[in-house]
Amino acid sequence: MATTEQVPERRRRPIRRRELPHWPPKGQHPVGYALAGVVLGAYAWILGGFAPFSVKSLIGVLIPGAVVAIIAYGWPPQRIPPPEKLDIAGVSYWTIVVAALFEWEASSWKDGSPSWHPSLTDLINPLLEPHAIKSVAVFLWLLTGWGLVRR
Amino acid sequence: MTMRIITIVGFVLAIGAMFVLEYLGRRPDSKVPTVGQWFGYLMRPRIGRLLVLLGWWWLGWHYFAR
Repeated sequence: MATTEQVPERRRRPIRRRELPHWPPKGQHPVGYALAGVVLGAYAWILGGFAPFSVKSLIGVLIPGAVVAIIAYGWPPQRIPPPEKLDIAGVSYWTIVVAALFEWEASSWKDGSPSWHPSLTDLINPLLEPHAIKSVAVFLWLLTGWGLVRR
Repeated sequence: MTMRIITIVGFVLAIGAMFVLEYLGRRPDSKVPTVGQWFGYLMRPRIGRLLVLLGWWWLGWHYFAR
């Protein structure tokens, strides 16, 4: 009969980390960052030019997703250490705001996004129609993906 | 004020509040976490990491492929 002491304590399994050199390398030359920015910018410009609901746009979104997945699970970069704990009051502020946004969006979605209560998507899509603005949004999305991989 | 305007104001307020919280979180000794700290905490377990990255990808698909 197992006693309390024999029951292994549940522990959060850490994500498997390989012993890899620091990646991206510390003190990388600014030219490297600039080059990465140019590549991402060019990709954002190309993807921003694809028509919605097209195979090109779908593939254009799938590729960064695949790259991020490969990096996150196969070749993880040096991650920014997460906090050990968060203040519950501070987290609750975020939770309230996010819940309010989702509730506002869900109420619109439930009604079929009518013109008198449009969804966030229907409000943002017209703003993303200009090629330059959509490209900037794609660029920010790519940067966010890189930021999340490092978390 | 039409209902459409009220809807837009609601979204602006919610998104604006996120920027305010991010600003507050970046002050010294703040109890409010930044969005990066929050995501970092959520992404500690493998499932949290997977869900957050999936959410990021879904946003891209939703706005740029549809």
